[in-house]
Amino acid sequence: MKNRSNSVYSVSRLTKTYPGKDTPANDDISFNVQQGEIFGLLGDNGAGKSTLVKQMANLVRPTRGSVNLYGRPVQEEPLLVPRFVGYMPQTARTLNSLTVSEALYFTSHLRGCGRQESNCERERLVQLWELHDIRTELCSRLSGGQQRLLQLAAAMAGQPPILILDEPTNELSPQRRRHVWETLRAENSKRGTTIIFITHDAIEAEKIIQQVGIMRRGRLAALGKPSDLKKQLDQQLRLELRFQPESPPVLPLGLQPQKLSEDHWIVRLDQHQVEAALSGLDFSRIDDFQLHSATLEDLYLHYT
Amino acid sequence: MKTRLPLPLHLQYWDLFLIELSNWRWGWRNLALTGTVLPLFGILLLGSFARELGAYALSFVLVGNLVMALLFEHMGKLISHFAYMKVAGSLDYFATLPIRKNVLILAASTAFFILFLPSLVVVLAGGAWILRLELHIHPLAFAVVPLCALPLAGIGALLGVSFRTPEEASAAGRLLTILMLTIGPVLIPPDRLPDWLVWLGFLSPATYAASALRQVVLGPLTSRLLLDFAVLAGCVLISFRLVDRKMDWREG
Repeated sequence: MKNRSNSVYSVSRLTKTYPGKDTPANDDISFNVQQGEIFGLLGDNGAGKSTLVKQMANLVRPTRGSVNLYGRPVQEEPLLVPRFVGYMPQTARTLNSLTVSEALYFTSHLRGCGRQESNCERERLVQLWELHDIRTELCSRLSGGQQRLLQLAAAMAGQPPILILDEPTNELSPQRRRHVWETLRAENSKRGTTIIFITHDAIEAEKIIQQVGIMRRGRLAALGKPSDLKKQLDQQLRLELRFQPESPPVLPLGLQPQKLSEDHWIVRLDQHQVEAALSGLDFSRIDDFQLHSATLEDLYLHYT
Repeated sequence: MKTRLPLPLHLQYWDLFLIELSNWRWGWRNLALTGTVLPLFGILLLGSFARELGAYALSFVLVGNLVMALLFEHMGKLISHFAYMKVAGSLDYFATLPIRKNVLILAASTAFFILFLPSLVVVLAGGAWILRLELHIHPLAFAVVPLCALPLAGIGALLGVSFRTPEEASAAGRLLTILMLTIGPVLIPPDRLPDWLVWLGFLSPATYAASALRQVVLGPLTSRLLLDFAVLAGCVLISFRLVDRKMDWREG
């Protein structure tokens, strides 16, 4: 892999096999993340995504390969990642004995902000993530979603130039999820923050992802811009149908659905089939339908 | 785009100390109960046997139970705390901040020691009252008591992060506690122990902690305190050095 000069992260032939395991958690992974890029990692559960970001955050020692941050190996300089990266772990049970406000203040201060600056940073983050109502609550008493927002705020405390976020929208309501993606996009365009994240929320994440890596069984199955990868998929359109399970729709002859669940199908259509398919459907038996071109979720399903 | 330098070590320590001290919010009931009630029961029970052996044996009961409280409560709490931090992801959080690992351990050790201090005072005063022993607290106690606690804290932190689960770490801690209490003259005077156990006791920090504590809370001070002081100071250095070297908060 070519190490371009504006690469923030350069991952080369990275492999991790945990002690006592036969198969590697991730295997021979190489990619670069550019300065100011939003890099999304998609993949099935157990595909090795969390191991990969933990290796990038220098929390897991690689079996083989290297991770360079600004051209320097993260393993050899213990303070390299802490100085430049804000990391949000997948679990959200840290700092349980502190209040939300204290957690944000201490994280900012420990990242090197002065006392006054840490107070300002705390106020900024409370405002940004709408944490006013819970600022005096103990972290241990927060709901899963509130813990998630606090972890996001803590990762951003002190405005590190790089964020690594492990499933930032897990356990969040749809409104909160949207707020997360909008805030991350704003953070990226306003400050040029490089953002690397793992998500299963491919449809929402598509709005901000600039480069995507799709992992399958520990390997990088696809890597590139979402628009370039989509071109490699077929040019079919997707007709999504939602309906009551006891009365599924009758499809026009020749169309076969992909049954995602008992009340949710996807039908792939060539362009010339669209009109006939829509006119042949009995809409009284359909709760909702969407017609769209290939999405990031289709890419995800295709490669995993 | 802002990149910052790490905080000076004393500021790192102060922040981490306050973070660790905030554990009183959930732990104070537990600390008060097990840190005070259990050792006082121990003193009551063992004291009833040792009373006829005289003040010398009773001094071992009092100080031995203080050491037991230090081992079970202080070291035990640090084992559980570090094991929980590992499982809950708090160690990952700290590992991605620009702080020194040994500053975190020192901060956790001192914070938990301060949380444990009220229990220690109650056990000392209550135990002396139960056993009808007169306390002669020497000012050196203010140096000796933390010196007894710190090496145990270092060992606790190391055990906490070395095992896969908090349960395994706690079990190993209990085993070590029992070993340290039974080898050497900690709870029982040396003239009541077989020689080999007394000699083996020289390998255990608990023996030196008990000896030093006995001298600074009951008197008299002897030249043995110098040896105890030197060994305990050495144990602090070795345990923190060991923790710093062995405790890798990266997985695998």
